Amino acid sequence: MATANVALAHDAAHDDHHHEHKETFWNKYVFSQDHKMIAKQFLITGIIWAFIGGLFSVFFRLQLGFPNADLMWLKPILGRWIIETNGVGQLDPEFYLALVTMHGTIMVFFVLTAGLSGTFSNFLIPLQIGARDMASGFMNMLSYWFFFASSIVMFSSLFIETGPASGGWVIYPPLSALPQAVNGSGLGMTLWLVSMVLFIASTLLGGINYITTVINLRTKGMSFSRLPLTVWAFFLTAVIGLLSFPVLFSAALLLVFDRSFGTSFYLSEIYIGGEALPNVGGSPILFQHLFWFLGHPEVYIVLLPALGITSEIISTNSRKPIFGYRAMIGSMLGIAFLSFIVWAHHMFVTGMNPFLGSVFMLLTLIIAVPSAIKAFNYITTLWKGNIVFTPATLFSIGLVSLFISGGLTGIFLGNSAIDIQLHDTYFVVAHFHLVMGSASFFGMMAGVYHWFPKMFGRMMDARLGYIHFWFTFVGVYMVFFPMHYIGIAGFPRRYYSWTTFETFQGFTDLNMFVSIAAIVTFSSQLVFAFNFFYSIFRGRKSPVNPWRSNTLEWTTPVNPGHGNWPGEIPTVYRWPYDYSKPGAEEDFIPQHIPYAQTPESNLPHEQELVKQEEADAKANDEIVVEDTNH
Amino acid sequence: MTQIAIWGGALLLLIILLTLFRISRLVAVVSEADKKRETNANKINAALMVGFLVVGFGITFWYSYNYFGDYTLPVASEHGVETDRLFWVTMAVTGVVFVVTSILLFVFPYMYQFREDRKALFYPHNNRLELIWTIIPAIVLTLLIGSGLKTWTDITRAPSADAVEFELMGYQFAWRARYGGADGVLGPYNYQLIDKVNEFGLDLTQQASLDDFMPPEVHVPKGQEVNIKIRARDVLHSVFIPHMRVKMDAVPGMPTNFKFTPTMTTEEMRAELGDPEFNYEIACTEVCGRGHFSMRLILVIDEPEEYEDWYAAQTEKTFLDLNPSYMERVPENLREVALISTGVEPEEVSNVVELESTLN
Amino acid sequence: MENLQTQEFTLRPLPTPQDEVKPTLSMHPHKFALWLFIVTVIMIFAAFTSAYIVKQAEGGWDYFELPPIFGINTIIIVLSSITLHWAYLSAKRDNLQQNRIALFVTTAIGVTFLIMQIIGWRELVYMGKFFTGGNASAAFVYVLTAVHGVHLVSAVIYLIVMVVKALGFRVHSKNMLNMEMSTTYWHFLGGLWVYLYLFLLLNN
Repeated sequence: MATANVALAHDAAHDDHHHEHKETFWNKYVFSQDHKMIAKQFLITGIIWAFIGGLFSVFFRLQLGFPNADLMWLKPILGRWIIETNGVGQLDPEFYLALVTMHGTIMVFFVLTAGLSGTFSNFLIPLQIGARDMASGFMNMLSYWFFFASSIVMFSSLFIETGPASGGWVIYPPLSALPQAVNGSGLGMTLWLVSMVLFIASTLLGGINYITTVINLRTKGMSFSRLPLTVWAFFLTAVIGLLSFPVLFSAALLLVFDRSFGTSFYLSEIYIGGEALPNVGGSPILFQHLFWFLGHPEVYIVLLPALGITSEIISTNSRKPIFGYRAMIGSMLGIAFLSFIVWAHHMFVTGMNPFLGSVFMLLTLIIAVPSAIKAFNYITTLWKGNIVFTPATLFSIGLVSLFISGGLTGIFLGNSAIDIQLHDTYFVVAHFHLVMGSASFFGMMAGVYHWFPKMFGRMMDARLGYIHFWFTFVGVYMVFFPMHYIGIAGFPRRYYSWTTFETFQGFTDLNMFVSIAAIVTFSSQLVFAFNFFYSIFRGRKSPVNPWRSNTLEWTTPVNPGHGNWPGEIPTVYRWPYDYSKPGAEEDFIPQHIPYAQTPESNLPHEQELVKQEEADAKANDEIVVEDTNH
Repeated sequence: MTQIAIWGGALLLLIILLTLFRISRLVAVVSEADKKRETNANKINAALMVGFLVVGFGITFWYSYNYFGDYTLPVASEHGVETDRLFWVTMAVTGVVFVVTSILLFVFPYMYQFREDRKALFYPHNNRLELIWTIIPAIVLTLLIGSGLKTWTDITRAPSADAVEFELMGYQFAWRARYGGADGVLGPYNYQLIDKVNEFGLDLTQQASLDDFMPPEVHVPKGQEVNIKIRARDVLHSVFIPHMRVKMDAVPGMPTNFKFTPTMTTEEMRAELGDPEFNYEIACTEVCGRGHFSMRLILVIDEPEEYEDWYAAQTEKTFLDLNPSYMERVPENLREVALISTGVEPEEVSNVVELESTLN
Repeated sequence: MENLQTQEFTLRPLPTPQDEVKPTLSMHPHKFALWLFIVTVIMIFAAFTSAYIVKQAEGGWDYFELPPIFGINTIIIVLSSITLHWAYLSAKRDNLQQNRIALFVTTAIGVTFLIMQIIGWRELVYMGKFFTGGNASAAFVYVLTAVHGVHLVSAVIYLIVMVVKALGFRVHSKNMLNMEMSTTYWHFLGGLWVYLYLFLLLNN
């Protein structure tokens, strides 16, 4: 242990040294190693990506809602992706697929993984566990810059001659392996893979850091049973990421070999473009197994941080402890574990062994139980609360609603017999956009509104927040709820147009409605963008603890410097959810307040802890004496 | 001119909105609304929650009820009836949960909106409640899984030996069907043999291949088990027959299959829907490139007798009948069999073969 | 009003700085991070070997004997683990001279291992087992050895850094963090190779 202590003392000295560094523009805003700045970098990059991804969805919704409209006016932006048929400008069908692919990739990875988990894990883990910074600020910085490089590569793929990857965000081979099959599988796909490898590196660097920080750097008294649920969620998310992203790397590597070196891992017996390829013995199903081994946990990588954020916000703003703190942790652990053994429910009708289908159906429906527990616990937390409707509260309640709506349709899709008809129809699109896309997006928005004061020392405008919420909430339901009907009617996803089939002639009105709703919802995000950027510079100055919250981040100064607390890091004495405790004068008691100071509100078993606290304090003093002698 | 007007109007609107925003902020600062905890905004949002609930449910129920026929497809296969039943049972169960939880979720915020004179209930946990909503969903899900498992096992059971069989091959961007011909046996194939004409890579050195035919439409008889052998020759595709509740991926290098029993002929469905133009269709549901949305093939369900007639007629149009030049691929010892099954005169064939070779 | 919560409660004396940096877990964060990195490497190979098994189960598999050089290399890498452990122990006992020698020897053996792996590939080529165009069974051997090799290159670089540190008297019993980390990483990669070799042996 001696070695570790020496090294740590060295680190501590190093830390102090940091404070004396002269802050230049470059090391403050660009190559910063401060977790708060890195979090903001992730957030702003994520917001920019969200607008790009959203804009793409508007483009393809224009095609689906108004198939006969003249899109010539988009020519200046989209160039030759608008083709002219009979004097009417139309979206190129391959570009349509590229848009769908890019929309999925951007939203899943760049917005809801990096933008959500990257932002809030970075920002909140050290602040809420009472640490000066991440375990390794340098790795943290690398994590962002790998993400940035990945973003640049993906962004550049939008502008190349053959267009970006267009085989769907799941990049199933052979389509993604053969440039003969679709243009996007040429250079576009190569860039996609390069970008994803960089992204995986970024996620792993981040994840290793988050886990190390949570395990090693919690402040005194911050036991795992006193961790805020946000930190629990980020921690489990990082664990899931650490176990699943390497598998995506393996899958992608084999795909690279198939694409560029002529191996046959995924390719077999293919005749395309007038020639028979030499590849024999490969299995496209193998890729799907490997991909979904990441892909399904990825759903929870996206969702868990949002659920963690929501737990914190709902509890704070209901002025009520989160109901079933331990059950919440238990269900998150359950979800994290189960997420690894349900992947093949994406593959019921791929020709996989039907017995495997039965097994995965069983496992899949089990995962509904912990999800149900979470939903019921949120509702019970609201019950008999004293609810303050901040924009963050609204987005959190919205999240729970979307989580329930989207989660319930998962029960249909997890049932392999029902999935036969619904697989790859709009029902699936509706399902995952509600439960994964929108719910996580709402979690992200809730987080932004809630922790904006801590990030920038200013408040966002609440009224604009309300407007933003109601437009988005109603809008999201108007976009995705009707898709259930379209899906039940059997409309397949990723269709450029419906006119070829008699069966899919209907719903032109509903599709138009969805498209209009999508455009309105997207436009209303501009209200958020304005509010966000305006408030960074001109927002009302934030008080120290604007939401009267219990967690440690609100014990830092309004604008915390590098190192977070100017003095000592506070010690933690209680769990983070002592809201409206009977007997207490205020309706909240922050985590750093010892039980000794709140005799009026202590529960019997807590009164016992007071003695423990005193004993600890005495022991501490002795250690101090010892150390100074040493 | 109109463009300038539009841009000008947009700019004006933006300025008005910004001014409104500034004024509202000033008013808020003056009235110190931001510092109060019990605000009008709180009341409005709480009311909107209930409003959203009522209007949302209203529209949902109105649409679901009134347009039921629009979004439900008639079902025309035996297992389809089963999966539809499962679907609606699940819909009933989840529907109840959806309604109850949504009401609670939106009514609680209204009931318990912030009041300065009230304190929230300190209620951190209740193990019995937790247990209840762990066990009840678990039981309900077990029941749903149970019935689902049974149906799934039935659907995926190996097809019976006397099932009507045909092959469906997906490529960019269409489906092609192949039947076993007079002997009823689908001939072997090899993807290396595929060319512009021999789309299936039919191996003509094997006797079973000689009488295979590839009709432009798929016909199957009503009331008999049908087994589709599915394959793809370039990228992934997925066979989707909406009215039959059939879906299965077509994978290059890995043949798959799906069996179903149609219960309504095309004519019967036309009569039921009152649409004389109606056709069963086969679509693709796995993204496969530019023409993914256009892989349409018509499926005709016949009465068994009609089907027999159609099949007999098709055996006159085998691959070799339509492409006599391929006769040269047939080895000597099978030529005679091939000639008998095609009904082509030997001289004709040799002429054609010569002609072809000179052309090449 | 907003300052109320911070001023209302007077804090009792706060813990000392020594206390504050004391981590909850008695492992250095960097070392812990290394273990997490090892987990990711394990996942990469878990994916490859599962893919291997799934692929093999699908049939059409080309079974062949591994070139004997891979067996020799297994012994070599075990040997390198022993020499590195010698380096570790001598550093712990502050025997700096031996530590340098052992580190250098390990690095040299590591480079030898890499060269031998490349020779192993050449033997595979002589056997007609190519990376491309052929059966996935051969391609998997290349992929497993190559990905392992890339990790081993990183470990050799780490060892070279250690040699430089050792020459600069920066590896001793009071500064063992990097020595411990490089030893852990090297042992892990050695163990990984033994696993991969046995895996390929048993499946071919």
